[in-house]
Amino acid sequence: MIHSKITEKIRETPSTCTLKFEWDAAVLPGQFIMIWIPGYGEIPMSISDTGNPKAITVKAYGPPSARLQELGVNDKLFFRGPYGVPFTEVKERKLIIGSGSGMACLMPLVDSKSTVMISAKKASELLYRGKINAENVIYITDDGSEGTRGFPDTVLRDFDTKEFHMVYVCGPEAMMYKVLGILSARQNRAEFSLERSMKCGIGICDSCSIDGIQLCRDGPVIGIERLKNSIEFGRSKLDHSGKRIRVEI
Amino acid sequence: MLSVSLAGIKLENPLMLASGILDQNGYTMKRILEKGAGAAVTKSIGKEPRSGYVPPIVSVIEGGLINAVGLSNPGIRNISGEIKIAKESNKPVIGSIFGATPDEFLSLAASMQDFGVDAVELNLSCPHVKGVGTEVGSDPSLVKEIVKTLKGSLRIPVFSKLSPNVNSVLEIANAAIDSDGLVLINTVKGMAIDVYARRPVLSNGFGGLSGPAIRPVGIRYVYEVKKELDPLIIGVGGIENGIHAIEYFMAGASAVQIGTALMKYGCQIFSNISREIGEFMKAEGFQELDQMVGAGIL
Ligand SMILES: Cc1cc2nc3c(=O)[nH]c(=O)nc-3n(C[C@H](O)[C@H](O)[C@H](O)COP(=O)(O)OP(=O)(O)OC[C@H]3O[C@@H](n4cnc5c(N)ncnc54)[C@H](O)[C@@H]3O)c2cc1C
Ligand SMILES: Cc1cc2nc3c(=O)[nH]c(=O)nc-3n(C[C@H](O)[C@H](O)[C@H](O)COP(=O)(O)O)c2cc1C
Ligand code: FES
Repeated sequence: MIHSKITEKIRETPSTCTLKFEWDAAVLPGQFIMIWIPGYGEIPMSISDTGNPKAITVKAYGPPSARLQELGVNDKLFFRGPYGVPFTEVKERKLIIGSGSGMACLMPLVDSKSTVMISAKKASELLYRGKINAENVIYITDDGSEGTRGFPDTVLRDFDTKEFHMVYVCGPEAMMYKVLGILSARQNRAEFSLERSMKCGIGICDSCSIDGIQLCRDGPVIGIERLKNSIEFGRSKLDHSGKRIRVEI
Repeated sequence: MLSVSLAGIKLENPLMLASGILDQNGYTMKRILEKGAGAAVTKSIGKEPRSGYVPPIVSVIEGGLINAVGLSNPGIRNISGEIKIAKESNKPVIGSIFGATPDEFLSLAASMQDFGVDAVELNLSCPHVKGVGTEVGSDPSLVKEIVKTLKGSLRIPVFSKLSPNVNSVLEIANAAIDSDGLVLINTVKGMAIDVYARRPVLSNGFGGLSGPAIRPVGIRYVYEVKKELDPLIIGVGGIENGIHAIEYFMAGASAVQIGTALMKYGCQIFSNISREIGEFMKAEGFQELDQMVGAGIL
């Protein structure tokens, strides 16, 4: 277990905050850590800033992530990693599509050649609002309280993607599934960061598997060609007990 | 050269995926079987769904790892679909089950048989859940009764997986001797404390140690049980390469299971070990796997 201290805490939205910490390891965009909150649990978190200090951006759901948000400057962080296969980086123009906390793993990819589509339920939930230094930022909200009203897939449908050398996508599976459907009919190279329950992070427990591969080890970043042929993506997954349940699309 | 028959089940090689490692999702088992495992054992399944313990469920140490997954499983009624998917590989799938009483084991085993598994493996050895596993598997008369009940009612072979965390492994092995085979060993009870957090890492506190650190323990029990009682044995614990597997054969195992090594080597490990065993046999003049079984016993 690696340990460090929080050096800065930034409130991003009412439900999300960024924690910065010193860690001089080489981490690539798309990789994640398993962060241990003693007494509460251990959860996967993407590195949202791969420089030094590093950062994670946490949205509060259950007890572990809620507890993580209560921590402050000088509190200890415990984690292991980095884990997972990173995104393939390109020098040319790229399109980044992030929904909700999914934007956290995409943030290290953002540069002056990026167009970023970022979506949330409402304006106050838009992550990194006003902080994204990209060529072009398109805000999308379910209720139209900021930017375009709708969802990433509804915007993408009428959006020309020819000029982009790579499309990077992360967000709820329903969103990624629809985006996959649209991009499948086009020629774009694309990579998706997928999510399944992760218990071990080291490729032995099978809780994060999809189509026989372990997302903690051979993912979470998966290329579009592989995803097009997926049996489980957008259809089913295993719950904490291992019971197969439907993915809501 | 590597094919083996275990209580009538034909395996194209003697390397099986151990219970609890990458064997919850049918597509994972199918892929591992297609990548070279001779057979797969499912995660241990009980009557009702169990979420298992809240993570951390593993702690990596030098020489292996300590786990307390907590027997998470979907319950017997939800596992048939995964077995069906795994069986698309056309290779043997063994259903691991855990329970508290002979009747419970029998009802689970009968369901497994209906789902089409090739054998059942009785988990008499999980070290970290109350009322099942080692707590059942350390009582010789209960073990004897469970094995007798199942042997009298099932068509498929019954393997009993034993724990090293008991007073006398030999006594329990003797109690389970009417099984079609014994699986030795499950994990060794252990614990890790994070000194900066000043508490055990695993949410359950203690767990089971697996990986290279326990190989000498496994070898010793396989050797002792083979020498004293001569049952069919499936060896498990700390195997990472062909030489380790052969060490188990020479101690008396007819086949082996591999678990923790998948963390370091991925599912390629099965075809790699098959190749290494083949090379060893050629170099050392063995024609059949059988010739190596027990060859190291004095
Ligand atoms: C690769 C990856 C990167 C991610 N990056 C980010 C990120 O940057 N930012 C972000 O906000 N979110 C991220 N997430 C999502 C985040 O990990 C989840 O939102 C988080 O796990 C939910 O935590 P929680 O507090 O709701 O805990 P819970 O949902 O209560 O529990 C967390 C985990 O504990 C286990 N668990 C919970 N209850 C049980 C039980 N009863 N029995 C057994 N196990 C149990 C499960 O494995 C579960 O996933 C990422 C997910 C993945 C897979
Ligand atoms: C994460 C993990 C989960 C396990 N779950 C089970 C289980 O459900 N049932 C069982 O009989 N053994 C279980 N085991 C024990 C293994 O099957 C095996 O006996 C042990 O790990 C030693 O082999 P290895 O060193 O090759 O891993 C588990 C082991 C690990 C590491
Ligand atoms: S989280 Fe356990 S295999 Fe990926």
